[in-house]
Amino acid sequence: MITRRKFLATSALASGALAMPGLSGQVLAQDKAITLAVPVPISGAFAANGKYAVIGAQLAADEIAAAKGIKINTLDLDTEGKPATAVRKVQDAAEQDGARLFAGGILSSVSLAMGKEAERAGGVFMTTAGADEITGKDCNSATFRWSVPTYGAINETVRPLIDMLPDAKKWYTITPQYVFGEGLLSAAKDVFKEKGIDHVGNSYHSLSEREFSGYLTNAMAAQPDVLLLLNFGSQSSATLRQAISFGMKQRMTIVIAWASGLEQFEELGADTCEGVYFGAQYWHEADAPANKALVKAVQEKYGYNPNYSLAGSYIISKLLLEAAVEAGSTDGPAVAKALAGKKYDGLTGPEEVRAADHQVLKDYYLLKGKSKADMKDKDDYAEIIHSGQSFLDPQAAGCTMPS
Amino acid sequence: MIYLFQILNGIGLGMLYFLLAAGLSIIFGLLQFVNFAHGAFYLLGAYLTYDLVERGVSFWIALPVATLIVAIVAGAIEALLLHRIYKLPHTFHILVTVGIALVFQELAIIIWGPIGGSVPTPDGLGGVVMLGNFVYPQYRLFTIAVTAVLAGGLWWLLEGTRVGAIVRAGSESASNMALLGYNTMRINTAVFAFGAGLAGLAGALAAPIRGVEPFMGAEALSVAFVVVVIGGMGSYTGALAAGLMIGIIQSLMTTIWPQGAQLFIYIAMAAVIAIRPRGLLGRV
Repeated sequence: MITRRKFLATSALASGALAMPGLSGQVLAQDKAITLAVPVPISGAFAANGKYAVIGAQLAADEIAAAKGIKINTLDLDTEGKPATAVRKVQDAAEQDGARLFAGGILSSVSLAMGKEAERAGGVFMTTAGADEITGKDCNSATFRWSVPTYGAINETVRPLIDMLPDAKKWYTITPQYVFGEGLLSAAKDVFKEKGIDHVGNSYHSLSEREFSGYLTNAMAAQPDVLLLLNFGSQSSATLRQAISFGMKQRMTIVIAWASGLEQFEELGADTCEGVYFGAQYWHEADAPANKALVKAVQEKYGYNPNYSLAGSYIISKLLLEAAVEAGSTDGPAVAKALAGKKYDGLTGPEEVRAADHQVLKDYYLLKGKSKADMKDKDDYAEIIHSGQSFLDPQAAGCTMPS
Repeated sequence: MIYLFQILNGIGLGMLYFLLAAGLSIIFGLLQFVNFAHGAFYLLGAYLTYDLVERGVSFWIALPVATLIVAIVAGAIEALLLHRIYKLPHTFHILVTVGIALVFQELAIIIWGPIGGSVPTPDGLGGVVMLGNFVYPQYRLFTIAVTAVLAGGLWWLLEGTRVGAIVRAGSESASNMALLGYNTMRINTAVFAFGAGLAGLAGALAAPIRGVEPFMGAEALSVAFVVVVIGGMGSYTGALAAGLMIGIIQSLMTTIWPQGAQLFIYIAMAAVIAIRPRGLLGRV
């Protein structure tokens, strides 16, 4: 027997399917709205990142809509931080809403899956996730990435720190066991080998771990000079917080290779962060014109400073939308063509979308936590002590782009 | 040496797990009620402590105040809503309490934001104790001591006092107790509030160690259930044994096979269920 509810559900599905024929190939006109899909974790352990990403995407959409006189709809897709959910939502958005532009990701495993799906759906996907593979051996014609991948994150943090701390010869690492952590760890091992550093140990942990006292005990037993944390988000916050309660800050230098920026400093507070080194993709105090404009816009609209999740989402959304306007289409290949090779004023200074692997070439920062007394304002948690660019060339990264 | 230290660390973890699970176990044992909102009370305890400390209140005042507020909130929820569903099958208990847990989680995001926060270690306990090459935070030693005292006090309360006798009798036969002139509904409310208050206390005590974040409740709930299942549903001493067992296993595994440390909590649970289906000290 078919109930009323079932009937409604099936008829809704059917009408969705009927409306499916895509928008691809249509020329953008003033009365036609562009859809920008934003697939980010809005629930689950990484929801905080997703919330700010949504704000950043909306900001970019409003800015481009006003500048170009077009209508832009954003479509938030909750990936829940899970690859399978993300792929399904990308499929649905492509089929039912005609979405071709996808700006999001955050987690590497999720982004790898979505990049493949975007290519299949004839769309284009830009992400901030970190794994080398995204623009390396799993690169594809539809996937672009703004953030510096794990290789560069290590080379712009571990390498300068080894030079700055010549007496620190013994390093210990704590690594989450998934593609992102493995990428950071193997890059770190290469640098250790080259610089003659004694890698005195590593502890792997699972992606659901919350209690790090056991791993920290392992680290203490190895008596390192430097503790290098290769985990991300709330896991790296928890590890750092517990490391400090075990008095490790007094006994060794602590480094988080891939911090999530301002939101992480807010979560941990200045006392915890003081003297700790953080690698960062974005810092709101960076001296770049486009960054200053973004900080001003976010301050005016929301009254706070942009963090990495917001800024990363803003810039990838803006790049995709500008490319779509330039191409006169939201069709994946056309947008990808407009985006590849593009040079622009970015949030870290001059940035470039490398055509060969769709990787953006940009600076990575090494920050050092300030003491409360040295902070100029409430968000002045850290100073930039080093910045620079390190990228594998596309061949070394293993990317062969189908032409 | 490292194994000895991991065992000490495991005891510290285990005592926190016990405190988390004790309330759940008491509520299940006495009310036959499956409470999936238990993690939400832990979350509330932690966030209230965080909020009070942020406002400049001393941690030592925030700790009892947060615990008390959680108990009052839980008592109100029980009196208004939960006592109506005790007689329904367990699936209804789960449905309603999961709903309550989600409401608390989302409220935490609305009130305190999606980004977590840190609670500074209270004054006087910020230091560490040196043990050879190893260090152990004073605050963690303090939580072990507090929990040990609480464990003893709870045992005495339930087994050695008139209040405990009334509560235990109520769980055996509510109708006989009612015939004897006791208000069983009020006893149930008090027991529920007490169990939830223990979760709130666990949250408040854990806040300086773990910090606060909106999803801490769900994580705590799963650990609490593992402890209750291993210890035996409703067994208070079982919860203590199971909490310590899980803490020590988890801590030792981080040295022996780190990537499997989380997994082994559940392997231990499966093994105990296979050998003793009612848990270590479960009632037959």
